[in-house]
Amino acid sequence: MDATVMQDAETVITKARLGDPVALEALYRAYSGPVYNLARRICRTTEDAEDVLQETFFEVCRSIRNYRGEGSIWGWIRSVASSKALMRLRRNRYRETDELDAEYVPSAREVSPGLRMDLEAAMDRLTVTARAVVWLHDVEGYTHDEIADQMGRTVSFSKSQLARAHSRLRVWLGDEASA
Amino acid sequence: MTTSHLTMEQLLAVRDGDRSEPAYADAHQHVAECGACRVELDRLHQRTARLRALPRMTPARNQFPAVRTRFATERRQRRLRAAGIGGLAIAASLAMVMIGRDVLRPNRLDAEQQIATAKSESQQLELQLHAWNPQSRVLNSRAAAMVMELEDRIADLDVRLAQTPESERQLALWQQRVGLMNTLVEVHVTRASNVGF
Repeated sequence: MDATVMQDAETVITKARLGDPVALEALYRAYSGPVYNLARRICRTTEDAEDVLQETFFEVCRSIRNYRGEGSIWGWIRSVASSKALMRLRRNRYRETDELDAEYVPSAREVSPGLRMDLEAAMDRLTVTARAVVWLHDVEGYTHDEIADQMGRTVSFSKSQLARAHSRLRVWLGDEASA
Repeated sequence: MTTSHLTMEQLLAVRDGDRSEPAYADAHQHVAECGACRVELDRLHQRTARLRALPRMTPARNQFPAVRTRFATERRQRRLRAAGIGGLAIAASLAMVMIGRDVLRPNRLDAEQQIATAKSESQQLELQLHAWNPQSRVLNSRAAAMVMELEDRIADLDVRLAQTPESERQLALWQQRVGLMNTLVEVHVTRASNVGF
């Protein structure tokens, strides 16, 4: 996802690294939208997403001195945000990954066209872990290695979560081929 | 070539060009020859495109004031901890002055005494500020920005003090620190006293 392009980014980042409050606020204004969107897509509630937004920018204020300019500033802020969002999932003790295996998945014949979900509803129906993997991989562009690293799991875990999530989305959205 | 239709794992490997999947080449070949799997792959691409096109969600309220307050509070606490260590340094330097007073040259002794005095003043101002309890008071955005700037400059001075062994240079830095601390206390006290108007 493209983030807002910040005007005079280098100057703002340089000042922010020195703790300049105006520059830190400029970073917030430029990137709070994409950070919140990422957090909201991963977390269950708006309250959790707002907490992640605040935690992310608190960490940005504390750690921007360590940002060496390797990679884009959005890439750096996004890695802080995804880490905070996943930490929030762990803290809330969402342990739904095992439920995915046991979850009942209706076949296409059992899902009547009138009951087909829209994409938002289908994403909400996924477990939080599966939804986080789908969002981080398919939308934010993280690799399975990066997701596995952030989640403290294996690459094959990330791949299987993505595949199972897509299998479910395919049914719920009525995307199954008629052939 | 794979004879049965592709699994979702294989379709994703083809979509993502994931050659680390053992059967990637076979799956890729299969898609080229199987109409049903090509349709599945197209739908997978479409689903991903729809995910990326979902409306962006925006926060209901500005969280930055809360972030700024937390950040300022943390920096203040860090500085107070540093001031605590500074208190030990004062005691140590005073002891050095007492022990070495007979062997140090008068001008060096004078510098050491002045540093000790400046450190003591700085510590008194830190204690005064701590007693004022700025965290329990509200500052407007202009005053908060001034406070942050002063705290930044004090933090910068503390770094320079830790790296400066020469007593003459240390004295100048400590005197600057006293000046900045005075201003910091004044900003807090003035703003707080204005709250009642």
